[in-house]
Amino acid sequence: MRTLVLKAATTVLTLGATAASALFVTSHLKNPAAPLQPPVLSAGAGSTASSLGGSLTVGPSVQASNQEPITSTYAS
Amino acid sequence: MRPEARIESHHFVAMGTNCSVFALGLTPRQLLEGEFWVRRVADRLTRFAENSELSRLNAGAGEWVEISPELEGSLRCALRAFAMSSGLVNAAVLPSMVAIGYAHSRADGPSVTTLDSVRPLPRLPKVLQVRSGLARVEPGCGIDLGGVAKGWMADRLCETLGPNVVANIGGDLRAVGPGPGGVGWPVGVGGTTLMLRNHGAATSSVRRRKWGDMHHLIDPRTGLPAKTGLEEVSVVAANGFEAEVVAKAALLLGPDLAPAYCAAHAQAWWLDGKNVD
Repeated sequence: MRTLVLKAATTVLTLGATAASALFVTSHLKNPAAPLQPPVLSAGAGSTASSLGGSLTVGPSVQASNQEPITSTYAS
Repeated sequence: MRPEARIESHHFVAMGTNCSVFALGLTPRQLLEGEFWVRRVADRLTRFAENSELSRLNAGAGEWVEISPELEGSLRCALRAFAMSSGLVNAAVLPSMVAIGYAHSRADGPSVTTLDSVRPLPRLPKVLQVRSGLARVEPGCGIDLGGVAKGWMADRLCETLGPNVVANIGGDLRAVGPGPGGVGWPVGVGGTTLMLRNHGAATSSVRRRKWGDMHHLIDPRTGLPAKTGLEEVSVVAANGFEAEVVAKAALLLGPDLAPAYCAAHAQAWWLDGKNVD
């Protein structure tokens, strides 16, 4: 009798945990506040501007400035 | 923000292009030694001199050839670039370069074109093998390090010079350290100043080294100059080598795929060409 109760309790616990996990995961597909999102996901948050006829996108790890540059990247 | 310290700078021409070094806490003599290092390595890696290490390797006809640590390092970085870009950045490009009329330095003008001989490029690891102090290139193939060496050299030069330096080798650069104001080195990218701190930046373009319908950026899928709709891409990445690889790969991918590719591999990017939003 005790064994049967334990088996039933285990089954109920397993099904309950599965259902709760499924509900939680489907309602939390992506946490927008997560600090370590890959760059590809956060690209939309980067600032994009048009300059010199092209399009410049600056991600969150690089800071733009109005200082005069000491040097530039360029085609050679 | 702390007061700006005095920047020591040194400018020179090497590999047919302008190079600059900026540093805090270094002497002019140390920056001059940096120039000498660039010249020594460039002499080994050039394909335009018959007696360079790279030319001897290309002429090795499949035999193992002894190589210096500098050539070994740059060849290994070429193999890494191939892997990183899924084959888009392929240093086995020399036969195509010769076929499109880029057999010698641009200062000497274009050479004869032989487009009938152009083929898609072979997979680099199939034609280039590198061991410690040795390398071999398959007969009929040839390596040109022009597409990967400058960013790699900028990285190596910064490692040599110290913790607060910018090395710009023909537009492919590496910035290390906090810079003069403690918030990075101000570097121009796509017409905007970005503060780079332990970053690399590079530009790939089809607007330079151009003659007639030809330019120097080969699409490995055809063996011919790339026509993707993008004309110039600048990238900020973790170091100069990665920036150079990502910029080239993005340009070869074209305007539809380049934004997503750059978002995954770069920290800032500038795209210019047709159909760029």
